[in-house]
Amino acid sequence: MDYKAGICNFCGTGCGHLLKMKDGRVDGVFVSQNHPVSKGRLCVRGWHMHELLRTEERITSPMIRRNGVLEKVSLDEALGYISDKISKDIKNPAEELAFLASPRSSNEDGYLLMKLARSVFKTNNISIDSESGHRNSINVLHRGTGMAGMLGSLEEIEKAEFILVVGTDITKQNPIVGSEIHKAGLRGAQVVTICSRESQIAKLSKKFIQVKPGTKKIAIAAMAKTIIEDTLYDNDFVKKHTEGLDGFANALGALKDEDIPALTGVESEVIKAVARDLVKAKTAMVFFSSGISGLDEDTISYIYNLFLLAGKVGKEGCGVNPITGICNLQGSYDMGLAPDLMTGYQPLADSAVIKKFNTAWKTDLNDKPGKGVYDLLRDGSSKLKALFIVDHDESIVRFSKEMKSLDLIVYFGAFENSFTDYAHVVIPTASYVEYDGTYTNTERRVQLSSKKADGDKNIQAAWKIYAALAAKKGANWNYASASDVMAEIARLTDTYSGISYAKFTGLGGLKWPCDDKHPGGTARLDIAGMKGALKFVAVSGTYAVKKAQDQNPFLLMMGQGQHFWHQNNIMKRTFIPKREYNATLLLYPRGYVEICPEDAKKIEVRDKWPVKVVSAHGSMQVAVKVTGDVKPGTAYVPYFIQDMISEFLLEHKEIIDQGENAIIPVKIEKV
Amino acid sequence: MSDHTCSNKLVTIPQIAVVEEIKDEIEDVKTYYLVFEDKEIEKEFNIRSGQFIMCTIFGAGEFAVSLPPSPENDRFHISVRNVGKVTGALHELKVGDKVGIRGPFGNGFPFEDIKGKNVIYVAGGIGLIPLRSSIVHVLQHRKDFGRIILLYGARTPKDLMYQYNIEEWQKIDGFETFISIDNPVAGWNGHVGFVNQLIAKANVPVDNTVAFVCGPPVMFNSVIKELMSRGLKDDSIISTLERHMKCGIGKCQHCAIGRTLVCTDGPVYTYKQIKTLGEQI
Amino acid sequence: MYLINKNDVKKIAEELSKSYAVYGPVVEKESGQTFFEKVASMDEIDLGAPIPSMPPKGIVFPQIESIMTHSYNRETKEAKVKAEFGPEPKALFGLRSCDLTGIMCLDRFMMGQEYVDEVYLAHRKKMFIVTNTCAIPFKQCFCVCTDSGPSAKEGYDLNLTLIDDKYLVEVGSEKGQKLVDSLGLQKAPDDYVGKKQTVVDESIERFEIISTDNKAWISRAMNRMTTGFVKPEIWEYIGNQCFECGACSFVCPSCSCFNIEDVNRPDHSVVRLRAWDSCSFEGYTRMAGDHNPRKPVEDRRNKRFFCKLSYSQSKKYLRPGCVGCGRCAWVCPGDIGLPNVVTYIRREITG
Repeated sequence: MDYKAGICNFCGTGCGHLLKMKDGRVDGVFVSQNHPVSKGRLCVRGWHMHELLRTEERITSPMIRRNGVLEKVSLDEALGYISDKISKDIKNPAEELAFLASPRSSNEDGYLLMKLARSVFKTNNISIDSESGHRNSINVLHRGTGMAGMLGSLEEIEKAEFILVVGTDITKQNPIVGSEIHKAGLRGAQVVTICSRESQIAKLSKKFIQVKPGTKKIAIAAMAKTIIEDTLYDNDFVKKHTEGLDGFANALGALKDEDIPALTGVESEVIKAVARDLVKAKTAMVFFSSGISGLDEDTISYIYNLFLLAGKVGKEGCGVNPITGICNLQGSYDMGLAPDLMTGYQPLADSAVIKKFNTAWKTDLNDKPGKGVYDLLRDGSSKLKALFIVDHDESIVRFSKEMKSLDLIVYFGAFENSFTDYAHVVIPTASYVEYDGTYTNTERRVQLSSKKADGDKNIQAAWKIYAALAAKKGANWNYASASDVMAEIARLTDTYSGISYAKFTGLGGLKWPCDDKHPGGTARLDIAGMKGALKFVAVSGTYAVKKAQDQNPFLLMMGQGQHFWHQNNIMKRTFIPKREYNATLLLYPRGYVEICPEDAKKIEVRDKWPVKVVSAHGSMQVAVKVTGDVKPGTAYVPYFIQDMISEFLLEHKEIIDQGENAIIPVKIEKV
Repeated sequence: MSDHTCSNKLVTIPQIAVVEEIKDEIEDVKTYYLVFEDKEIEKEFNIRSGQFIMCTIFGAGEFAVSLPPSPENDRFHISVRNVGKVTGALHELKVGDKVGIRGPFGNGFPFEDIKGKNVIYVAGGIGLIPLRSSIVHVLQHRKDFGRIILLYGARTPKDLMYQYNIEEWQKIDGFETFISIDNPVAGWNGHVGFVNQLIAKANVPVDNTVAFVCGPPVMFNSVIKELMSRGLKDDSIISTLERHMKCGIGKCQHCAIGRTLVCTDGPVYTYKQIKTLGEQI
Repeated sequence: MYLINKNDVKKIAEELSKSYAVYGPVVEKESGQTFFEKVASMDEIDLGAPIPSMPPKGIVFPQIESIMTHSYNRETKEAKVKAEFGPEPKALFGLRSCDLTGIMCLDRFMMGQEYVDEVYLAHRKKMFIVTNTCAIPFKQCFCVCTDSGPSAKEGYDLNLTLIDDKYLVEVGSEKGQKLVDSLGLQKAPDDYVGKKQTVVDESIERFEIISTDNKAWISRAMNRMTTGFVKPEIWEYIGNQCFECGACSFVCPSCSCFNIEDVNRPDHSVVRLRAWDSCSFEGYTRMAGDHNPRKPVEDRRNKRFFCKLSYSQSKKYLRPGCVGCGRCAWVCPGDIGLPNVVTYIRREITG
């Protein structure tokens, strides 16, 4: 049997697939019919996973930069070099050393990287670059329910009578989740999309509410306001299971009914009707993208409060569901790849937590939370000297100037990448099918991807390399296998305590919390099993919206309208996804900005003509794409185009952190 | 359907050919004279005008390129514009470098069937490249045809392909050549204007006549309009279509338009056929 | 016609394994899916297994394969070219009728027309085919509407039909006759013709209503498509639901579009790969210089169904392009498999 069951490693949906193996090498891919999430489907990326996995464009040997050139060395020499250099040059690791982890690493890889950083190298400066993305979702959901992850379940989408999609172009980012939503719609569920741009899911929704850029929060708040004012909510549910409604109701007071149409561009009655439908439906779910260019914390708070108010949290077929775009983004947070967290969302600053880990790791941890890597790079006064970077598949290198001034950059990865241009030491890691590893998808589903391909015998799994580096510093961890690593994670993490490799039989993995009370995992947040009440979270109570100014009449918004974002480095090693990615880039080589036909006429430009986009901070020249997907006054730019990111958008640093809700007033002129 | 001329040895696996000579044509266009390494293949390689080959640039990829030489007594060559990765790699080759050739593929221009007729060639810009093969072939059998007319237009004198050929052709008795450029340029004493204007100027006949048209879409449409308004029938207007090709032998279907596969049913079609293909070209 | 006991049927496979690599339906345990796989031991074959999820076309038309390697040294001017395909005798044991029809569609296309595709021919040569009649159709099947089942009518070397506790073995070629002779199979009494027909009829009865209620539902849609009376709004409706994943082409037994890529290897040789492609992709028809004749997604959907169902295709190949296996229906994220599309088209006719 050449076909072996496995997990697709691209986005956070975590579809099942089967890989065809030939002579220890991946030779084909096929859908998994019985996988609970993908149910026999794959997207264009999943269908070409084999093209990526059989590529020979790998980093083949550890390298050290000598006289400006990367020279091949043995792994032992490279690790020795790193260990010595850090011992010599880094006197204050808590300020001078940082780790940029990868949301693509397996849980075992991420956990040991975290252990390496904190217990061996004594620094808490470890983060993935989604600090301002998925962290927002996790913070809100944890604050409100104690669950630091998606509340609902992808398997229950078919049970939702009402599905709200906020923002995200989900059929392009997580196509199989989009497919589930679409099929639920075909079966009679009411699908409503709130977005500034007519994405495919908007076309497939029963109702599409096209709000002005940056006003999704207002639409959500308006819905909540109607439900409270007309007392549409279930009073029993709210009394019995929630607390804090008064605070939320007060915060909505500042939103005036008469302002809503002007702010959002949508009639009040339209929004009220949707609110009524939401409450009436027996079950409802909300989806929004979480990660870089996801929603900001305030908007997510309003969404969560709205659904709590409507009683659509903690039951079958219900949930507030942030969708992660990268295979182990959720798992990375579960493994504590954040400056202030240990595993399972246990706060680093908590003395009981520190004691527990000190005992288990036989070490003496620094209990002061660190800083995120991009915060350190951004901060001109930081003392950062050395940086470890793991498998960042973005060719977009932010803060390249600051990186050039560091004394030591170590890069761990499987594929060639522009980060290696900055690296002093490069260490190859095995690709994900060459070793065992678990990955946690967007719905807290921990799935095991077992070793299938042989790979180069000299290139090890990332976690093994971290263990070897720890050993160089005198910490002998002695893990016999990835299963051992997971066993340790389970011992230290309540939500993962019931997970072990022995339990990974069949398809579908285990959804945390998986503990004594839930030995088979937990499908969704369940009120029935909860002790405390669900809390309404604090919201800003402010409803100001960036308006277009006279000089800058357009509101520029960003998003992820394509299959391939972050210039996805790994997809460039495929044939067909790369061709599809290039199909757009070839039409618009320097990227494009979308405006509607009326605006194009006003500026006197036609499709593909060059335009200059000018904001208060800078300007860029791109082609214009004329499309009816956006309304007059809106300009849209897909996040993935390199030149625009590094040259123009990076000027608006604070705005990057606001993700999807970032709005830049701009002027667009014919060139 | 056509009976193909391609030897079995050149269908799937490329045969190696050596670049014998490189000639600069117009900007970004070069002509490469090629000779097969294997003398047997060189002997067996026969083409029809209007066919194309799949050319492999080792390390860069493979692309489809039309054949400008006449089937008789003409050196094997291709004229290629630098537009992308593979053609760019070709443009870096020097004399003595090697390429791979598969083919020739495609149906080709009619030859026997049009004997006795007037033959009009209307070309725009680099559209002259595929037509050259028919022009030279027909001129080699001058007596078998009626009036032979060439109407050729380009943006500027520098954009006229095959200048050395045109100079010879202008001297041939019985070959009426009309050359035009779009806008006036100092030193140009010939016609100025778009190529469809030359149709009236040449007083192109319509009875017992066939017209070969090749050029950019805008020129194509205006020329067809002009010819048909003069009375030429749509099955007497012939063109060659371009499509993205991968296999060249009618299997991968990248070149499909409606029901037809351009690499095997075409690339030469009459305008009557083009209208009924079922999809836009 | 011959008979063989149910428990002995694998003897046919064993006999074949002496001169062919034997492929048969095997269930992959972890995923529970059936694949048509090369087997080392005939015990692995499960003739009762469901229709293979992956179409067996992958045996004659692999998902990705190397067809040629070449290398060129610019200094020494040495060029080397080497073909990488060659025939390997294969026996397909337990092929379903729809999948056989798909392979025959590929045969007609790849080995007919202007050129014989040498790569396909290498995979297809020296093949022994043993088909298995479907006594119980699967939920997705509609081969009765596309004239491709439930029992194979042609193209096989041997056709098996399970009748009570014996398999009826019909011979379809000289090769098949030779094998039957070498096994010394007992001849089947004449009444087995009727018995087989009963099995086939009963099988047809078990198809979903939509297939049997109106067997002409596909041909009516074909007629509609060809005569061009499908409104653009229908194509837009269908196009909106397309997730542009390519799955329909990949799982279709009769789809044969492929891509060719030259890949540079670390040792500076180049390997020419052939891999499955799909007309669903925007980049499929795009040409150098931006021109893309089939850019909007609804045009691409139109093209696909035109290719599968139009009368002109069926006139050329004597049958519809669809074999009624139903795979495109369950693999489509947007729910626009062929049966649904035909339903939309018919709904447009009937209102």
